[in-house]
Amino acid sequence: MVKFSISNARYIYVHDQKYPSEDVDIHHIVSRKSIAKSLFVYILAFLVLSCSIYLYVLEEKSISLVFYSLLFDIFLVKLLLGKPVKKESVVIMPAFGVQLETHYMSGKVIRCFVPIDKILKPVLVECVTAVTCYWTLSLIVRGESEMVLVFKSLRPPVKMLVPVWKALCAATGSKEEACTHAE
Amino acid sequence: MDGMQKHRILMVSDFFYPNFGGVENHIYYLSQCLLKLGHKVVVVTHSYGNRSGVRYMTGGLKVYYVPLRPFFNQSTFPVFYAPLPIIRTILIREKITIVHGHQTFSTLCHDALLNSRIMGYKVVFTDHSLNGFGDLGSIHMNKVMQFTLADVSQAICVSHTSKENTVLRSGLRPEKVFVIPNAVDTSMFKPALEHPSGPEVIIVVISRLVYRKGADLLVEVIPEVCQLCPNVRFIIGGDGPKRVRLEEMREKHSLQDRVDFLGAVPHARVRSVLISGHIFLNSSLTEAFCMAILEAASCGLLTVSTCVGGVPEVLPDDMIVLAKPDPGDMVHAIQKAIFMLPKIDPQVMHNRMKELYNWHDVAKRTEIVYDCAMKCPDLDLLEHLSRHLSCGALAGKIFCLVMIISYLLWHLLELLLPADDIEEVPDVILSHKSDEEMLAKN
Repeated sequence: MVKFSISNARYIYVHDQKYPSEDVDIHHIVSRKSIAKSLFVYILAFLVLSCSIYLYVLEEKSISLVFYSLLFDIFLVKLLLGKPVKKESVVIMPAFGVQLETHYMSGKVIRCFVPIDKILKPVLVECVTAVTCYWTLSLIVRGESEMVLVFKSLRPPVKMLVPVWKALCAATGSKEEACTHAE
Repeated sequence: MDGMQKHRILMVSDFFYPNFGGVENHIYYLSQCLLKLGHKVVVVTHSYGNRSGVRYMTGGLKVYYVPLRPFFNQSTFPVFYAPLPIIRTILIREKITIVHGHQTFSTLCHDALLNSRIMGYKVVFTDHSLNGFGDLGSIHMNKVMQFTLADVSQAICVSHTSKENTVLRSGLRPEKVFVIPNAVDTSMFKPALEHPSGPEVIIVVISRLVYRKGADLLVEVIPEVCQLCPNVRFIIGGDGPKRVRLEEMREKHSLQDRVDFLGAVPHARVRSVLISGHIFLNSSLTEAFCMAILEAASCGLLTVSTCVGGVPEVLPDDMIVLAKPDPGDMVHAIQKAIFMLPKIDPQVMHNRMKELYNWHDVAKRTEIVYDCAMKCPDLDLLEHLSRHLSCGALAGKIFCLVMIISYLLWHLLELLLPADDIEEVPDVILSHKSDEEMLAKN
């Protein structure tokens, strides 16, 4: 049963409760495919391949050129469209723990379970890389030197992270300390 | 701030905490006072060791430690376009209106100013040091300065000497350059409750023991002073390549009981070293504005200093004895200072320093500079290019090319990652009384 949904150009956030009686809270972040981007990449790949075939047929160049361009096309499509992660989910079981799931395009699912008593605090933090800044949701886990990322592969906007953070705060009994920020 | 414009300022420099120095202190205290005046301040610097990412400091000062590794002398590698994506992201997400770069030797500062003004932001630059004209390094640095300051909105210098130097080096119009001296946190540098008594006169030296700070001058001055004044003792704090020469001098003249070496002194311990003395000795050969003099005067010490750069502008005549950077003149100045010592009241000196140099005043004056910068007209690409073209026959063309590439890269970024996709961050509000109290103290 879908309770709530937010979407933007790159991601869809879905909050559902499959088992209302058991109070299991499920939050999904689904990666959206960009049709325009896909179209652009495939046209580019087609142009590269057609150029190499043209050179082979009319200019009598080596057949290896076609093979190399084919390899380049595969690399290009893999690089620009090969987003292996389809969606990431957070399954919150209040008295039990939190299960983090990563669903790949191939159908493979990787699950990671964090017991509720080990979670000290869920936090929304700003990450800084050499090229960009983004928000991420992490769990401060007892006995771990590093924080556990809730969404390892996807970078959803903060408006999608806030409901998940609030749900995690409620489940772990942490205070929602948003008072340090001006709304 | 009544009716005055609230600014959102991005301070950019390679030099910031946990590193210690004049520039670092300046950025920190200025930011704190600007926050207190109701402005939004964000600092961008490179990462220091494992200190990377976003950190919050006193008063809600937000610091971005960008994961760029220092290349030489705490400065990042000079790649004009590398910081463009991150600087653009920070500018948009923090809703910045003014970019304020600090220090000539900060490559991150130059890169940020270049990229910011291409994006149409108002830029202010503060020069904290003096630079030469003769050697190869200075010629190169001055050309970079000319490029950076060609279309800067406003510039700030820490002394009139520094202003003169900056105007000559960069070709900047003098009316665009403001002079705002540094200040001192007098609450951190209070005189001792009991002044060191006894017949002994203790002279304190705290500086990096390098050529620029006049360590070679000390080698000649100390033995002569010790010979002329048997009741004088020296305490030398600091480290550097010239320490060996000073230790050799101590051995040669058998001054082990009269010259103490403390080695590197952490900033937190500077006051405790200063209050153990009567006179502060500064032997710098070049100085835009000597922060150490202010700290010493705030601790109630009489200062003897070389008359170089912006030093004569720092303190009133009754608080400092100036000398030429010559051993004989320095010795004479120290003797004069010893004679003046009975008239010095450390507490009175401290109170005067409190009035003369405070960060709140510096912030108020910087605020005026920001207001002037905001009134500067917006320039299009052609106007930017025409300003850079006048920087030299060959250099001008290179600068224009750099600007054009930067402009194209910015538009490519606008296409790949539109500004609408970058999330704006909420502003931090002081939630603890202690933070407000700490700010009030400064």
